[in-house]
Amino acid sequence: MKPWRYPARWALFKMDDRLLMMFIGAIVGTCSGFAAAVLNHSLLFLLEWLSQWRQHWWAFILPAIGAALSSLFLEKVVKEGAGHGVPEVIYSVSRYGGLIRLRSTFSRLISSCLTIGSGGSAGPEAPVVMSGSAIGSNIARFFSLNDRQRVTLVGCGAAGAISSIFNAPIAGIVFTVEVILGEWTALNIIPIAIAAVAGTEISRALQGNQIVFSHKVFTIDMGDILASIGVAVFTAAASILLTHGLRSMHKVSGKVRAPMWIRAAIGGSMVGIIGFFLPVVLGEGYHSVHTMIEGNFSPGLAFVALACFAKILATSMTLGWGGSGGIFAPCLVIGSLVGLTYHRTLVMLWPYADWVNEGCFALLGMAGLISGMLQAPLTGIFLIVEITGGYAVILPLIIVSAISATLCHYIEPSSFYLKELVDRGHLLRPGTDARVLSDLNIKELLETDCVCVSQNMSLRDFVKIVETSRRNYFPVENDATGEFVGMLHLDDIRPYLFNRMLYDAVLVGQIMNPHVETVLPDEDLTKVLRKMDSQRLFSMPVVVNNRFVGMISKATLLDKYRKELMVQTTF
Amino acid sequence: MKLTINEVAQCLDVPLSTVERWIRQGRIPVGKSGGECVFQKPILEVWAKKHNLSFMLPDKKVKKIQEDKPVNLFNAMAFGGIYYGIKGNSVSEALESAVKHIAFLDQDGQETLLGKLLEREEMASTGIGRGIAIPHPRTPLDKTMEEPAIITCFLEHPVDYQAVDGLTVFVMFILLSQSVKVHLHLLSRLAFCVRDASFVDFLKGFPNHEKLLEKVENLENAL
Repeated sequence: MKPWRYPARWALFKMDDRLLMMFIGAIVGTCSGFAAAVLNHSLLFLLEWLSQWRQHWWAFILPAIGAALSSLFLEKVVKEGAGHGVPEVIYSVSRYGGLIRLRSTFSRLISSCLTIGSGGSAGPEAPVVMSGSAIGSNIARFFSLNDRQRVTLVGCGAAGAISSIFNAPIAGIVFTVEVILGEWTALNIIPIAIAAVAGTEISRALQGNQIVFSHKVFTIDMGDILASIGVAVFTAAASILLTHGLRSMHKVSGKVRAPMWIRAAIGGSMVGIIGFFLPVVLGEGYHSVHTMIEGNFSPGLAFVALACFAKILATSMTLGWGGSGGIFAPCLVIGSLVGLTYHRTLVMLWPYADWVNEGCFALLGMAGLISGMLQAPLTGIFLIVEITGGYAVILPLIIVSAISATLCHYIEPSSFYLKELVDRGHLLRPGTDARVLSDLNIKELLETDCVCVSQNMSLRDFVKIVETSRRNYFPVENDATGEFVGMLHLDDIRPYLFNRMLYDAVLVGQIMNPHVETVLPDEDLTKVLRKMDSQRLFSMPVVVNNRFVGMISKATLLDKYRKELMVQTTF
Repeated sequence: MKLTINEVAQCLDVPLSTVERWIRQGRIPVGKSGGECVFQKPILEVWAKKHNLSFMLPDKKVKKIQEDKPVNLFNAMAFGGIYYGIKGNSVSEALESAVKHIAFLDQDGQETLLGKLLEREEMASTGIGRGIAIPHPRTPLDKTMEEPAIITCFLEHPVDYQAVDGLTVFVMFILLSQSVKVHLHLLSRLAFCVRDASFVDFLKGFPNHEKLLEKVENLENAL
């Protein structure tokens, strides 16, 4: 046993495990920040390297090759599902105490690098979050920490990754708390903050203290704030369009009877064709966002509006057909395009009004799309404030984020990240009923004080057992085999109880209820409870291999449920 | 004070598997020594209080009511004694003279008991039919009794007891017990014997001490 692998036993950390979490949080933040920087650099390198062939007519197959390679890599080499990975992280956090496979630390990095670097329209943030979370999880496992600490370190990894890729520590913290963990406690916020700082420092050390999107001062007056309500409506519409686009593309591609990598290649080549005419849709699009904020985006209104739809289509093609990457960066691009379109329309309609620079509307559009798509308004607000370094836009920003998130929530109740989880019933946020039920299992609720009776027992003998027993339910077993054959409730013998003539004439096997709903010990408690509710049962027998092992009842469940809730929700 | 995982499960009244899961999930403060989980009692108490959980050490001295003699009719009747020719023409007179025979009570005790018996009779007659009555106080006697007693009193003259079947009573079983539970236990046994018509006929022959106890013992063994 190597003592350095058990930091929880070091004298310094024995005092308080918060010190330990801060220490390891800093390590995790550094590692995931480094992963984010590596992905960023390799993306830039790949894009530049491939740009020499972009002008050829056959360039449209570049995204196809990239998507196919990334799909092959995920499917055959690391054997992981396609997609961006954030739902997997959220599910692992809520169900398995943040356990993530070691190979996830690099798998999404490589696959998304192939997809995006070759021109696919997707974002590097979600893969980097997955990879950062996996780094946190595996470091926690290496140091044999418990589930709660591991979950915090997964959060640290995600925060470090987002902080590093955007050079924005607060956005990293807020994203982690709002999207990944879903809870805000004094115990986990400090290590996450430290990880975010560490991630940002790494990104600054490797790339210089450049803010990804440049800092610009806007002067905002009343008219602009009112106009921002319009931005919110349009960004909400764009988010819903994108959500539906992704989903319908996913359905269409699901119907194509071809291997995953061929499907990804089909999607990629379609993106390539769009990109041939509108190069703005290709890649993660940070560069075009940059020029739009600067106000240097030269093409006219019609082109911008067209580009907006083209980007939505390209993103749906890339991700819906099996490319690997996230939705964050495309959201920023689409958002700024929507903002730009809106601003130019306004200028066209009222050319003499004193509008703020169009870059400001691009920012508002970005915040609106992030709030709408991810339904994480705080992340949208803080990210935009931070990456522009400008506090001046905060008022319209809040309005746009709030309205966009509300509108999208109205039409699409669960966000892009949570949609799959909600559909499968896997969204188990801390402190919710689903979470408590998923943590409890039937073995912990088992009541074993029932007296088993034999099928061939006479009522007279049974009444004697009733006299000394404490329960109303009696499982009935077959003498010879010991198999569970039915249940006998005290109510069942009531009609015979006062007629002594029947005591020897009636056998337990005749009055028992042979058709009882039974439960398996590893069954999902939510399903068991639904079964109980639908049949108005108060308790059910647990049966394994035809043998009775105990009862579960709502009374015991309440006791244990309450204890679990108290342990889970107070810190 | 150090606790093992089993003791903690008992203190919190949860199954062992729950405590194991809480340790894995890091919800409960735990220390490790070697491969074993060790809990510190003061830390756990603070933790339980913070989470509003009840934390009680299991009672090690589980009170075991060990009776030297099993509670049955035979022992109670042997202890209470059997008396013949109790005088009295009414219920109260009969009870009054019967109570005077109770050897283990002093005079004060006998008077309190009489009061209690009469009080019970006023509520409803304890004549259970077939010429038998089972007078008893409604609540156990204040005096701590070591064991229950049944005082069997054969009356000199049958007394009108306002019994359920209107028959006069020739024998009273005064039932004294230290707790309601014992009382009910003896009552059910007595009722079982009395339901047997041959036993009632046997009683009508005023059997002597030994014969009565022998008969009761046989009946109880058949129970």
